[in-house]
Amino acid sequence: MTRWIRWSAPAALAISISAPAHAVQYLSIAQAQRQAFPGATFAEVQGGRVWKAESGGRLLGYFVFDRVIGKHLYIDYAVSVDPSGRVRRVDILEYRESYGGEVRSPSWLAQFVGKTAGSALAVGQDIRNISGATLSSEHIAQGVKRILLAYGGRGR
Amino acid sequence: MSGLLNVNARARRRASRPALARLLLGTTILGVSAGAAHAIDDPSKPLTTTERPAEQASSATEQMLRRMQMMEQRIQMLEAQLKQKQQGTPSAAAPAGAPPAGKSAASPFKLGPLPSAGTAPAGASAPATAAGGAPAPADAATQAAANPQTPPRPEGPTPTAQTALWHLPPLPGGQPGVSSDKPLLGVADSPVPGLSIGAYGEIHFGAQQNPAAGGQWQAGFDARRVVLLPTYAITPNIIFNAEIEFEHGGSAFDADDKLHGTAEIEQVWIDFKMVDQFNWRAPGVDLIPIGYINQHHEPTQFYSVRRPELYLGLIPSTWKAGASSFYGTIADGLSYQVQASMSLEDFGDNFDVRTDANTVPPFPAGYAPGISGTDALAFAQAPIGDFRQLNNAVAIAGKLDFSPPFMPGFAGSVSAYYTPNTTPRGAYDQVFGNPLGQSSLAMFDTEFRYRIPDTGWELRGEVVRVTFGNPANLRANNDSDPFNNVGKTMWGTSGEVAYHFPLGTFIGSSWEAVPFFRYTYQNLQMSGFAGTDLNSPTGFGEQRFYTAGFAIFPTPQVVLKASYQRIKTNDPVAPGADSVLGGVGFFF
Repeated sequence: MTRWIRWSAPAALAISISAPAHAVQYLSIAQAQRQAFPGATFAEVQGGRVWKAESGGRLLGYFVFDRVIGKHLYIDYAVSVDPSGRVRRVDILEYRESYGGEVRSPSWLAQFVGKTAGSALAVGQDIRNISGATLSSEHIAQGVKRILLAYGGRGR
Repeated sequence: MSGLLNVNARARRRASRPALARLLLGTTILGVSAGAAHAIDDPSKPLTTTERPAEQASSATEQMLRRMQMMEQRIQMLEAQLKQKQQGTPSAAAPAGAPPAGKSAASPFKLGPLPSAGTAPAGASAPATAAGGAPAPADAATQAAANPQTPPRPEGPTPTAQTALWHLPPLPGGQPGVSSDKPLLGVADSPVPGLSIGAYGEIHFGAQQNPAAGGQWQAGFDARRVVLLPTYAITPNIIFNAEIEFEHGGSAFDADDKLHGTAEIEQVWIDFKMVDQFNWRAPGVDLIPIGYINQHHEPTQFYSVRRPELYLGLIPSTWKAGASSFYGTIADGLSYQVQASMSLEDFGDNFDVRTDANTVPPFPAGYAPGISGTDALAFAQAPIGDFRQLNNAVAIAGKLDFSPPFMPGFAGSVSAYYTPNTTPRGAYDQVFGNPLGQSSLAMFDTEFRYRIPDTGWELRGEVVRVTFGNPANLRANNDSDPFNNVGKTMWGTSGEVAYHFPLGTFIGSSWEAVPFFRYTYQNLQMSGFAGTDLNSPTGFGEQRFYTAGFAIFPTPQVVLKASYQRIKTNDPVAPGADSVLGGVGFFF
């Protein structure tokens, strides 16, 4: 029976010294903005959702904060779009589920760079499926597509 | 029992003081860091208990100020528009700080000046600071979405500020919003932030040879399983998850219901998310981390109607047990899980014949083996209820999952399971009634899935091997049945090739077809037999499965399947068990 104690003691220890709140949050909005548009100043365009990135009065692009569901829980992510409507960067800000965290892989997210509203953005076509994170990858691809359409379709 | 309590109490006493100190330290750190942490959080996140009232108050004031600022901007903007409309001079009244309208009109996306741009703070994350659930920005967004026409749209040829507004729907998660991904069964928003209910299930139908009827072909239908998946993020870092499963239509007592299925808790656990590298899953009912399909067994994860053959015996999926584990991500594309669980047990008989003393029924009543050369480990799962496990052993399992960044489309895993003993209490041989001693069990699995980039091809492969510590103590080798004996090991391997064809758009979604072929070989009766039985295996334990068919995905959440399976064994007189099956699966 001491076996259980041997196994659960490290867990109890780890919990009691657990990291500061929200360790599962990988990036804050501000950090993600700085990564996407280094040195830019940000102006909010739509409350809590869209920011314009500028540097010296020149438009660098837009930073969009969004949320899709993974398998059960929401994934917070951000899409940075350059003025021509191409994806500059996609970042996962917060991933809450126990499985499927592979969508955070930089190599997977890099596939979105350069995509436009005209791209298929379909898992299995221009975006790789992630085995074990099927729903998360599908939903992020759909989310990016929605954002690009919201941007690209504007004023046309 | 009292011994156990004493041990626990001692352990608690020993651990309590340093643990308390750590807890206090942790809480202090939390308290100090919470302000900073929340400053960068998303708006829908509920306040944590560590947040102080003063901070709440100041953030509420900030929020109020921001709302007022936004309202002021809006009034100014509307005034400007009104003026502009009255004067008939388009785009003359763009707010201060915005680029000239002409420039924006020239942009390919017709991006106009943005009304609040000039005055909105550059500290762009500020609106997200208020962790109060429904902060001002979200309200503004809701308002904008609800009344898209509120700002009067100019009719002149040159777009003004309003045409350039992003009108994204408000964020899902607590607020009524427009989203295609709904937390409640994919159809509704959750009334409680953090709560979601998913589901998966599968229906099988078709014809199969019934070995019990001498291989006669029989048509049939099976409401194989319907599973509800409630998940609740109690806090962002403490997450509840469960799978509530109804198999074969469910269960009932009345004769007119004709139900002989199950209702079971297939999973229930609470996760404590700490850091990326280390998280704890509290004791609960959990899946054993072996292979891929045991943990990812939704019907959209495989293409045959039935689960892959290696998971029907060698790996007794859905293999679940009372368990606790640690897991985390070590590096990009590399994650692990280590789990302690209640051991497999070599008892395959009805639950009811266990005695109240938690032993097998006494000699000479006899009992069916949990591990055998005909069914592998299919009947060896430990019960998950009522302290009715038949031995004291705790098994250890570990899994390493990898999807290397340098090899896009590739994912694989290696996993292992070890239990020091599978022999149930009171086990005996059926010939002399002598007690059976302990026998350990080790399992090793390695598998990969490779979706070759830029092609439709997908390859999967797997090898699983089971080793028994002492076959002389296995019930199958001592049950007076000379045909179901087990050697020192069992093993199986499978290879699968599939091709993904896009079928185009039909009734509003893009369809995909996936024809596949899978070959599986398994040998459940290797050499190394020991025990009191006569040993005359018929060759039934050596099996080859040829499975071909296709899966059609109308959307990624739904699959329609058809598969044909031919089974060959080395037993020349064994009745056939081939099948032609259709299936419908869903997962959302």
